[in-house]
Amino acid sequence: MPALVETQNLKKHYQMGDTVVRALDGVSINVEQKEFVALIGTSGSGKSTLLNLIAGLDHPTSGSLRIDGIDIAGMSAEDLSRHRRQNVGIIFQSFNLISTMTALDNVTLSMMFAGVESGSREKRAAELLESTGLAGRLRHRPSQLSGGEQQRVAISRALANRPRLLLADEPTGNLDSRTSHEIMEVLKGLNEREGKSIILVTHDANLASQYARRTIVLMDGAVQTESQK
Amino acid sequence: MTFKDTVGLALRNLKQAKLRTALTTLGVSIGIASLAGMVSLGVGLQDQVVGRFLQSGVFDSVTVMAPGLLGAPGALIASGGRDGLRGLRGRGQPSENGTPAPKLDDAGLKKISSLENVREVYPIFRIPVEMTLGDFSRPMTVTGVPMSSKSEGAFQTFSYGRFFSSESDRACLLSLNIAKQITEKDPGSLVGKTATLAYAASRGLQPERVNLECRIAGIVERDPGALPIPGAPGGSVIIPLGFAKSIDAEAVTGVESFLRDPSQPKSYNAVTVKVNQAKHTQEVEDRIKQMGYTSFSINDALRGAKNAFIFLDILLSLVGSIALAVSSLGIVNTMVMSILERTREIGIMKAIGASDEHIRRIFLIEASVIGILGGFVGVVIGWTVGRVINFGANVYIQTQGGTPGTLFSLPLWLVGSSIAFSVVVSLIAGSYPAQRASRLDPIQALRHD
Repeated sequence: MPALVETQNLKKHYQMGDTVVRALDGVSINVEQKEFVALIGTSGSGKSTLLNLIAGLDHPTSGSLRIDGIDIAGMSAEDLSRHRRQNVGIIFQSFNLISTMTALDNVTLSMMFAGVESGSREKRAAELLESTGLAGRLRHRPSQLSGGEQQRVAISRALANRPRLLLADEPTGNLDSRTSHEIMEVLKGLNEREGKSIILVTHDANLASQYARRTIVLMDGAVQTESQK
Repeated sequence: MTFKDTVGLALRNLKQAKLRTALTTLGVSIGIASLAGMVSLGVGLQDQVVGRFLQSGVFDSVTVMAPGLLGAPGALIASGGRDGLRGLRGRGQPSENGTPAPKLDDAGLKKISSLENVREVYPIFRIPVEMTLGDFSRPMTVTGVPMSSKSEGAFQTFSYGRFFSSESDRACLLSLNIAKQITEKDPGSLVGKTATLAYAASRGLQPERVNLECRIAGIVERDPGALPIPGAPGGSVIIPLGFAKSIDAEAVTGVESFLRDPSQPKSYNAVTVKVNQAKHTQEVEDRIKQMGYTSFSINDALRGAKNAFIFLDILLSLVGSIALAVSSLGIVNTMVMSILERTREIGIMKAIGASDEHIRRIFLIEASVIGILGGFVGVVIGWTVGRVINFGANVYIQTQGGTPGTLFSLPLWLVGSSIAFSVVVSLIAGSYPAQRASRLDPIQALRHD
């Protein structure tokens, strides 16, 4: 059985003025089913770039990137959007909720793109929001919710299309430490109880070691060390 | 993603920016109003001109003449005497294919009436008479009309009285012009009076003066006798066809009445062929010509007028399109602005699985919603403005003594095509912004504030 995520010599270079920025310079990692992996590194280490590539938001310059054994490196925009709908759920530092939509609508939106019928997507969205502790907050807009609550909406949205892989890009970066732990507990629960694979990008080594079972340290676009808990 | 979901998202986006949507829609509706208004002015003017002629019964009729009378309306009321006789003989010729020219008699009439799309065929009787009423006496031409002409335009505007009651009614109609010549003050008082019509009858060898009495049934505004064949001398007296036929049987209407062999069936100088619809006139006229008759209709004039109106319509729609072109730039502008404002939102949508196509469709639907709304509002504005101008123009026309009419005509096809056109223009205008939105790089878009 192939690894859920498998990269080989993955590179992402881009031109910035006269210089070529090597955001990723030959990264080869594996993430297995039901794993909780943390990618840590300083800013500019390439951790977010790697996450974006796995998410299918960007194209690598070279190398291979397999999801369930299927290389997505050379996929068309259309196929990548399907990959985002079906395989991954993304959680951002800045939540990235649509400010004019209610919590419920934010969660149903991703199911809308996946073609889920309107009755069942509302039902599922309500269930997800309730399970992340937002019962009674369904009709609230992001501005009426606290940071922790907004991130719970974002997690619900990421789960909506039942992906096996959750990609979290600094999910606690905008939260205080107590709320950060709450959010991390939610993610940990999803990993342990529902078997979701999680790739967590963070610059906080403590948080990584506390929740992830494996930590990959990136530096200057390459894997520096890997440690298993 | 279903179509309904896409529409739902598009409507939601439009509602987010109510003022901007309203202003853009208003821009489109002004464009559509000016276009629809201009075309409706063209259509209205065309209806005014062509429609009135159509109603007058000119364009659905073909005048057929006996082959000897080549298209010279004056010859219908031959002047008599030696010159007239020579003229007739000189023009007498066989039809083009060399077969003997067909006679315009009852059998010929029957053949013509059996043609497709022919509604009615009746002979044209124009009999020179002298009309006497009290002190008034002058030569005029009696014209016979069938009862079916009652619906024609010329008989829609009675100043006084009404149309005949039957074919054999011993009644006549005068034009208002003639009636005023008889009594300037009160032409209406003539209705019901009896006029004497004197004509020359060929009884035996010598023409004999015969006096006939007829009741004046009504007075029409315009002289209908003047329309089908121009050049009738004097004024005309309109009498029922049956009545005219009985006079014509013995009246001396021209030289040919003298030349007529009494043993031969009577043939007519000219007949009027009425066609079902004006559009069949040409085809019926061609068939009649093939039969060897000489015929003419005012169809050519109608065609010229129609071409002129097509040109006018194109010109007017070009003028109207300028406003629409400007408003379509408004759509582009609004949507480009909207993309800037919603860049991050588009990025989010892409991150959670929207494809380029999904984004493109949302924007296209937004554009077409603006188009549909703008189209509807535009048609309403165009209609209202047209009505106001109509009203104003008619007030002016009436003070000038004219007949009010519809300058702006907004038929259903124009309403439908205006809205459809509005949607098409909006879609074209929206296609660039939609393309641009769909191509946004999600990572760049997510960084956008």
